[in-house]
Amino acid sequence: MAAGEEQRLDTASIIGNVPTESRRAAFLRGAQRWWPYYLMMAPGIVFFVVFHYLPIWEAKIAFEQVRIIPPNIWVGWQHFQTLFASPVFWQVLANTLIISAMKMAFVFPVPILVALFLNEIRSGPLRKFIQSAIYLPHFLSWVVIAGIFIAALSPSGGVVNQIAGLFGLEPRSYMTDTGAIRWVLVYSEMWRSAGWDSLLYLAAIIAIDQQLYDAAEMDGANRWQKIWYVTIPGIVPTIATLFILNAGMFLSADLNQVINMSNDVVRGTIDIVDTYVYRIGLQTGEYSLATAAGLFKAVLGMLLIIVAHNVSKRLTGKGVW
Amino acid sequence: MASRNDRRTPLERIEYAIIVSTMLLMVVVTVQPILNLAAISLSDPGRVPGMSGLAIWPEGFSLDVWTLLLNHPNVRQGVMNSLLITGVGTLINVTFTALMAWGLSRPGLPGRRFLFVMVLITIVFEPGIIPDYFINKRLGLLDTYWSVILYKAVNAWYLIILIRFFEEIPNELLEAGELDGANAFQIFWHVVLPLARPALATITLFYLVFHWNEFFRAMIYLTDQSKWPLQVVLRQFVIGGDKLSMVGVQAMSNFTGASQISIRALNAGMIILTILPILIIYPLILKFFTKGTMSGALKG
Repeated sequence: MAAGEEQRLDTASIIGNVPTESRRAAFLRGAQRWWPYYLMMAPGIVFFVVFHYLPIWEAKIAFEQVRIIPPNIWVGWQHFQTLFASPVFWQVLANTLIISAMKMAFVFPVPILVALFLNEIRSGPLRKFIQSAIYLPHFLSWVVIAGIFIAALSPSGGVVNQIAGLFGLEPRSYMTDTGAIRWVLVYSEMWRSAGWDSLLYLAAIIAIDQQLYDAAEMDGANRWQKIWYVTIPGIVPTIATLFILNAGMFLSADLNQVINMSNDVVRGTIDIVDTYVYRIGLQTGEYSLATAAGLFKAVLGMLLIIVAHNVSKRLTGKGVW
Repeated sequence: MASRNDRRTPLERIEYAIIVSTMLLMVVVTVQPILNLAAISLSDPGRVPGMSGLAIWPEGFSLDVWTLLLNHPNVRQGVMNSLLITGVGTLINVTFTALMAWGLSRPGLPGRRFLFVMVLITIVFEPGIIPDYFINKRLGLLDTYWSVILYKAVNAWYLIILIRFFEEIPNELLEAGELDGANAFQIFWHVVLPLARPALATITLFYLVFHWNEFFRAMIYLTDQSKWPLQVVLRQFVIGGDKLSMVGVQAMSNFTGASQISIRALNAGMIILTILPILIIYPLILKFFTKGTMSGALKG
């Protein structure tokens, strides 16, 4: 809107004392020029309103008592009070934070290392071969990945237990082991994303000015010094951006992953906010309570991403938007 | 290159060897479990129970598992449903996204900032699955393919990628079109789309993969089993460990050939079958995605 007005003002000032057209005429002229674009955008705009904004309105049932015969009764914060008084909710919240923290600590740095290593590989075909293999898991669904992990971690004939057996270790059933299942989530997340996410860092590395490396070489820097003093500073903004996106997802911990890797034995250990919402909402039918939990997560997630964005902007001068 | 190598000290050579072998180990860890499942699915069913998780080559060779799977009504229906959802879904995605991105990429568009903010808000704030479920219910979409097809009909991230791309189109090309008397639609069709082919190919692949892999919405919205896409069928078999539904009561109790096939072999075959379409388009993905990601920072 602002840009359009500036343009008109500019033309007016160049031509000189042209009488400014009436608001109505300006509007008609704008409408004539822009209606085809709005017509083209209409399906998309309708989609956003219906599938993203109506649900926000719909979320008001978190504050209502749902009745079979409408209208629902407004009950204010009652469902939130029930939620915060429920030990199960605090347990799933703790699980979510623990799983996210584990992923942040053990998964987040891996693609950075992968990118640094890939960048050191000089042979083009070898590098292409490695890339083609390690990007693949990103394109597999969690149902498939869960299937692959159930097979690979199986106590009878799974590759992991077989290798452990070579070292004389007893077979373990990792998928039904409450002490191991969170690590299974961490490792499967790494398996899926470490390769693909490295691509973003690699793109940032390639954009670094070659002269910096040449200068470092003149100063007699070795491989690791070049990585430490040139490459890593060059990709810090990318690291910051991805860190923010990850921080924004901190309360998600990936519903699709958990729902496919879960079973009756380990449910208590890896039940996260999203699976809790799904279970009490769509399976038990406590819609209001589930929506309250979902809203709590959404609002906290939004605050997290805004805080992370501002912190990153202060530290690196670069945010997500 | 040779002279460069000659200058390397022994220490540098060892470093290089460590780097290369670490990356090759990553390749093995990524690919081996998939090859193992492929090998199991092609092995002689009688030998599958004793097969090693390290094997990447079939023991004996048999297509029994694949014959059973490909003739199975649930699996066939699943494949058809997945193809339908993926095909129609992607068509809608690409059309809606391209049209909206084109409008939003025009600098003078009235209300442009407002629309941008509207899109960005949906990225940071998602009210969750229950309100989503109710919208689908209210629109009468539950238990129809549309409930799955229309989810993320316009993906905010891909929309932004396309907008960035359209903004790069040189103004002279568009003005030339206008001088020839072309209207906004004609310019979009004849000038913009042909120029945007690589970007469109990239988001088409993104959406194809997204729809093919969609599982959660399909599971909660489609109660009618005959509408289930392959991912949900796969989940029932593999995660649910439901061999009976796979082999059928008849064959199970008759101790016919099918009942001899172990659940391990069936699962392996089912997983590979579900991956297959991804593997088929994977070369294209590598070609477009890597290029797309290299040219502009994007998160997919």
